[in-house]
Amino acid sequence: MTTAAGPFDPDDVTWTPVSFRLAHARLTVTAIAAVVGLAITVPFAVLVGAAWAWVPAAVVVALGAWAALLITRQVRAIAYAERVDDLLIRKGILFRSLVVVPYGRMQYVDVTAGPLARQFGIASVQLHTAAVGTNATIDGLPPEEAARLRDRLASRGEARLAGL
Amino acid sequence: MSNPVPGLPASATDPRAPEVVWRRMHPITPALKGWKALVALLAIVAYNMTDNIRNIGELMQDGRWRYVVAVVLVIAAVGFLYATIAWRVTKFVVDDEAVHLHTGVLFRQQRQARLDRLQAVDIVQPLLARLTGLAELRLEVAGGAGSAVSLAFLKEAEAEALRAELLARAAGLRVRPDEAPAARAPEQPVFEVPMPRMLASTLRSSATGWFVVFVVVIVASVVATHEIAPVFTLVPALLGVGGAMWTRVNQGANFRAAISPDGIRLRHGLTEARAQTVPPGRVQALRFTQGPLWRGPDWWRVEMNVAGYGGEKDQQTENVLLPVGTREEALLALWLVLPDLQVDDPRALLDAALGGSGDAGGFTSVPRRARLLDLVGWRRRGFLVTDRALFVRYGRIVRRLVVVPHERTQSLALKQGPIQRKLRVASIDVHSTAGPVHPMVEHLDEAVAAALLDEQTERARTARAGAMPEQWMRRPEVL
Repeated sequence: MTTAAGPFDPDDVTWTPVSFRLAHARLTVTAIAAVVGLAITVPFAVLVGAAWAWVPAAVVVALGAWAALLITRQVRAIAYAERVDDLLIRKGILFRSLVVVPYGRMQYVDVTAGPLARQFGIASVQLHTAAVGTNATIDGLPPEEAARLRDRLASRGEARLAGL
Repeated sequence: MSNPVPGLPASATDPRAPEVVWRRMHPITPALKGWKALVALLAIVAYNMTDNIRNIGELMQDGRWRYVVAVVLVIAAVGFLYATIAWRVTKFVVDDEAVHLHTGVLFRQQRQARLDRLQAVDIVQPLLARLTGLAELRLEVAGGAGSAVSLAFLKEAEAEALRAELLARAAGLRVRPDEAPAARAPEQPVFEVPMPRMLASTLRSSATGWFVVFVVVIVASVVATHEIAPVFTLVPALLGVGGAMWTRVNQGANFRAAISPDGIRLRHGLTEARAQTVPPGRVQALRFTQGPLWRGPDWWRVEMNVAGYGGEKDQQTENVLLPVGTREEALLALWLVLPDLQVDDPRALLDAALGGSGDAGGFTSVPRRARLLDLVGWRRRGFLVTDRALFVRYGRIVRRLVVVPHERTQSLALKQGPIQRKLRVASIDVHSTAGPVHPMVEHLDEAVAAALLDEQTERARTARAGAMPEQWMRRPEVL
């Protein structure tokens, strides 16, 4: 972790990073998008033949490269921590956020894995409270860790459940 | 009735007592529910016929109008028949734990609403129901949009008796069938909003501003173009603004608030009368608002978040705790939600929170370097934590104050954007249930924000541990 100590790094917390396979999955999506982009822009450039016609293709390449750089950094920035009474989720580099979800406030837990995520062996865990604003999703967990977290959250939530 | 809904196992509803008595809605219900559809149908017919005046003449002459009338009658009859069948299959029963409601003609639905999850009970009377002495009873449970259990329509007296019974059962009092029906909990009036103030406050709201803007634009464009056409383009906008003003007056008319052991009782509405009961501890957050034109008379509007209330469309109706009131009444509204504020001088606290700025009254304000992020209102921004709640103050032109009781905090988030990072400030989101209030403490010093996040998490936990039980008439030690 390169993040400097600050408001997003409480002292007594050991962070668990998410699987780096999440970066691979996201890079794959980006690569597919870039290939589609190039499949449109390169024939266009060849057909037009002028030098300026290569600008769209260059933009696609530049965007792809930038996204690739960003994705690895972003994935490294995602981490979570289980404390005695709540779960912490940290995200983001430019726009940073740290979400605290008390176990007792959890209404239900979702574990999801799309086809691509399954291919890469990762799953997402999402915590729901009664508040709509609670954005507590952890992407990129290994499936067994996702299942363990789900069960743990459910049992802790039950033990600490209080109305709304 | 051994098998209340054919096709579904009777045990799904499990009334523990086998001789459970299913209750029905009032027989006029189909007529009351169907009249809107009939009016719409007639409007369509009328619109199509008057499209061309000559058509009417022709229709009248060769007798084809008979067919039109016949078609309308047939559609109305089919609609009425359907509504009657729907009424036939709709039934409900209340037991100690839940309300069971069976509805649906083609797609059967059995809904159970647990009473210990009850968030609010409303009695709603649209104009027509009022004229016929009927009422709709709505139970809000915290299940998001469409989770309310609507019992429509019942006789007014029956609805009121049922509300008393539901609240008594939700409070944890057992009701035995052989005993007298649950008495309505006594209530104490707290404040009411006089009609002249309601009208004056609507005239001083932002809607009036828009009204004036539209009129000026119309007049200016007519003068400039010497044509009358622009008037018609702005008529919908004017109607919209007028409609918003009317809604506001209509909903806020005869507004009365009272307190009872069952919680907060609100009554309001000009054409559609609504009586809300929000049990203790169900209000998740409060927001006090004062527009620039309300500052002279020092009027405040108080809105609340209650789980189950307020899909976006009903926020004017359900989520208002005080449509317009003086500062004293605003304090009373706060007292309704937090009777034990646990501060020495609540009035001084509210003065600092509503009108103050800077660090006055114990508030923690944002650092001066954060003024770039909020040039106008940075001095007003601030928060105060008491033993019971978090007070967030912001807005200089439109003054606002948000109050969140600690035990109602759902989750928290610390956020920081790139500019905030440069200025070493951060914001805190306090997540609350769906509603008009979105509590946020913005642009705090990094260290203050981190400390607040930590403390708030801790306070929310201890406050929840000491909070009263969901069944509010039961003492905690019994549970």
